[in-house]
Amino acid sequence: MEKGYTIKNNVIIISRDFTELDFFLRDFLNILKKHSDYLVVSGYVSICSGRSRATEDIDLLFPIPRKESFSELLKELQENNFWCYQGDNADEIFPYIENMNSIRFARTNENFPNIELVPIDETRKAKFFEFKHPQKIKIKDFEFKIPPIEFEILYKEIILTGKKDLEDANHLRAIFSDILKEEKFKEYEPIIRGELKQ
Amino acid sequence: MKKPIKDMDYVKLFAEKLKKDNSLFKQQKMLIESQLQASRSLFRNMFGTGEEFKKNARIYLRKVGLIKPVSR
Repeated sequence: MEKGYTIKNNVIIISRDFTELDFFLRDFLNILKKHSDYLVVSGYVSICSGRSRATEDIDLLFPIPRKESFSELLKELQENNFWCYQGDNADEIFPYIENMNSIRFARTNENFPNIELVPIDETRKAKFFEFKHPQKIKIKDFEFKIPPIEFEILYKEIILTGKKDLEDANHLRAIFSDILKEEKFKEYEPIIRGELKQ
Repeated sequence: MKKPIKDMDYVKLFAEKLKKDNSLFKQQKMLIESQLQASRSLFRNMFGTGEEFKKNARIYLRKVGLIKPVSR
């Protein structure tokens, strides 16, 4: 019997085969990483570690880019069979980003799954903190960045608080019980509670 | 072992078993992929392909609130 995950050099290695959802994220990140930094957050963090539930989107934080840089990213995504819900060119889409509104991408001729790209800057203190303190996680040869697990749990328990989010948090608490650190919960809680005041 | 009685108990029980036995990931893969396949088939039938797909999809996505006007 093989364990669900192991830790090597501070990287969480999940012991499973790829799903179609993983391929979708991997293909998107292969393009995004050429143009921008990122952090995978929210539901997919729980799902990639085994939470058995349906999802329609994968949330990614990314720093607000310059318009020229975004145009290049958009062009490459479109050339690789992704389309953006909000428009077909940077003039249509960029106002969403500069006003801190999310944008979504799916594969051509599909609505779901989609990537929700959430623009952030230093004013979004909790999001900016997790963005700057990534945890690496790996499925086979696909490595990507997620928040510290303790941060993700508290964010779901304090900010999001829906049934699905609390179940996700419970899943993370149970599966990662061997590696969670109480001092990390204490460090992150005031940062996350600060978001309630914003 | 405590008998699970709520959704939350099942979530915890499944995670604890998964931690020790990765063969349970196969069930999760089936659930995720069956949902994606159902969704793909449904929307292609509803919206067509190419530019027609985007046009029809955007009308639908506005109705369900997944495309909103820019909020400033």
